[in-house]
Amino acid sequence: MSDFSWLYDWPAHIPNLLPGLWTAIVITVIACSVGYVLGFFLALMTEAPLRAVRYTAVVIVEVGRGLPILVLMYIAYQGLPQVGVLLDPMPSAIAALTYSAAAYSTEMIRAGLASVPRGQFEAAAAVSLSRADTYRFIIVPQAARISIPPLVNLTITIFQATSLATVITVSEIMHHAYLSGSINFQYMSVYVAAAVLYLSITLPGAILTGYLEKNLGSPTKNARRTSIRKRVTTKTPAGV
Amino acid sequence: MSVPSMSRARLQSENQAAMNAPYLTAESLTKTFGEHRAVDEVSLSVPQGEVTSIIGPSGAGKSSFIRCLNLLEVPDSGRLRIGDDALQFGGAEPRRSEIQAVRRHTGMVFQAFNLFPHLTALKNVALAQMRVLGRSRKEAEDRAMAQLERVGLADKAGSYPGQCSGGQQQRIAIARALAMDPDLMLFDEPTSGLDPEIGAEILTVMRELAADKMTMLVVTHEMEFARHVSNQIVVMVDGAVIEQGEPDKIMSDPEHQRTKQFLSAVLGR
Amino acid sequence: MDYWIEPLRYIAFGTGMTVMLTFGAAIIGIVLAVPLLLMARSRFTALRGLYHAFVHIVRGVPTLVWLFIAFFGVTQIGIVLDPITSAMLTLGMIATANMAEIYRGGMQAIPAGQWEAAHALSLDRSATARDIIAPQLFRAVSPSVATQVIGLLKDSALVSTIGVADLVFRAGLMTQNYGNGLVMFAFAGLIYLALSLPVGALSRYVHARITRRYAVV
Repeated sequence: MSDFSWLYDWPAHIPNLLPGLWTAIVITVIACSVGYVLGFFLALMTEAPLRAVRYTAVVIVEVGRGLPILVLMYIAYQGLPQVGVLLDPMPSAIAALTYSAAAYSTEMIRAGLASVPRGQFEAAAAVSLSRADTYRFIIVPQAARISIPPLVNLTITIFQATSLATVITVSEIMHHAYLSGSINFQYMSVYVAAAVLYLSITLPGAILTGYLEKNLGSPTKNARRTSIRKRVTTKTPAGV
Repeated sequence: MSVPSMSRARLQSENQAAMNAPYLTAESLTKTFGEHRAVDEVSLSVPQGEVTSIIGPSGAGKSSFIRCLNLLEVPDSGRLRIGDDALQFGGAEPRRSEIQAVRRHTGMVFQAFNLFPHLTALKNVALAQMRVLGRSRKEAEDRAMAQLERVGLADKAGSYPGQCSGGQQQRIAIARALAMDPDLMLFDEPTSGLDPEIGAEILTVMRELAADKMTMLVVTHEMEFARHVSNQIVVMVDGAVIEQGEPDKIMSDPEHQRTKQFLSAVLGR
Repeated sequence: MDYWIEPLRYIAFGTGMTVMLTFGAAIIGIVLAVPLLLMARSRFTALRGLYHAFVHIVRGVPTLVWLFIAFFGVTQIGIVLDPITSAMLTLGMIATANMAEIYRGGMQAIPAGQWEAAHALSLDRSATARDIIAPQLFRAVSPSVATQVIGLLKDSALVSTIGVADLVFRAGLMTQNYGNGLVMFAFAGLIYLALSLPVGALSRYVHARITRRYAVV
């Protein structure tokens, strides 16, 4: 009973899946915008002088990173009602993914901040820049070069993770796929269509990430590339 | 924290004998890192309008000491008088406002330049002027251009540090420090990261600053510079000042055995 | 208190399945990624292209979709796989793609000068690979491989959706029977944490020791 029709009739399912795609995008955008902001503050907290603050942040991050997203979703949807928090499927999924985004982005943001050489902090201090200005004008722009590629990557990952929301009855791609596929038991066709739909976002995303990695990264790397023609015989420890 | 007027008068009368009133006075500054006492009760006066050089072997605490003066390192004990401000160390942590007050007096030039790599030379020099001194963008950039011209790099204003040679980067760093109108310029081994030929361009700029009567404190290995441009040489070994005085005297007829040792090892530079 | 022992015990026994799937997939990935690495660094554009296509497609489609394809989808072709086999194949494939990318990145972290020095010393290809490159690659990728294993651990939770009796599946079942999803899933979650934290700590320890003794690559 081999049926290879799915190789050519998967496109038929695509229109049925598009509403799910929209839902997935919405969830991703919300989860990441809130999550990364939280991640920034968590990153600062992990370097705070007060031990209590540091430990709290570390626990929050490690739990968020250590739990499977599926478990987070189940807890948000089937667990929280126990403590009186009743969330609909969509908000549950968003809450779970926001927490995930925050936890994973913390290390990326922290790494970006740490990539900025100490001398930059010192130079900013030597010209009396305030702490806020130091971060805003000197540290974050340099940190961003390091943090942005992995954050873009994380966003793509979160987008893929929206597929899990189907188990808590959110009406995203996989849910629509199941409905569409069970009409004629054409599961291969429909899941191939779903795969293609995901790829339509993740492949451009991967290209974007690759482009960003090449053109961001550390300033030294880029500066040396542009100045090869002008190179003088001295060492140029730019930003070192 | 300002020095009360009574002791300021005493300060002035005490120093009548000296050529110029000291702009900065460090009293018994001590800084310990873990087990290691990097700065051991160092006292030093930096007279106004003059150049003071600190020389000595590596690890002598010269860098640590100079970083105590603009509070990049906070000393564990001692006293610092700079301009009209004075700070006592050893008790409570200095407040942010006190630290900023001291830093406003000084400009620092680092061995590693520490330019902001994502900003052009012009922006490097203008940023702090706008954000700290509150100058308008136009004023800050005009003054930045003036400082870049002063160090001979007006044509590099739109370039990024990565596009400039080491000597140029250091000169931009000097312009950046000067743009804040400091009363005292601190140099932490400004030429140590550069080839000797390129180091010469930095020393030229520093000579010009000295001729303009800028108060300077320079940690350096450049003995020629120390001898010919400084008004005072301070020799530091193992965190302490072992000798200080006129350059010619120190260089040709030092008193301390350790100084002799050090000089014979490095002379000719 | 006794009331809880039954369900929690039931959940805890899912650990074996979870661990088996995780490490099974990890080993498949670690091993199969090696030929893939060779493909990635081949001088034939076609092989490199195949490598990139494989990696991008595998990683660009969510794990859940692959699982469903491997379990539900293949029925359309006439293949019937039991859930565990589907799970292992799927996770193994994903692990392979991820490990290959990690190896590839690790190779790029090795300075070109290493190959040059090996050539200058007249080392042949296999000696170079074995004595010069492999140790440095190991050093460069160990933390990432550990992270990837933890990732597989978490991905393994998805097999619950195709009926494999792992930690999450059992937690869900117990929630159906006993209610109180918070306790059930939190307990399962705790087991995941317990499994991952040692791996993370070990990886950090190994990485710290490795990078302390050598200069930054």
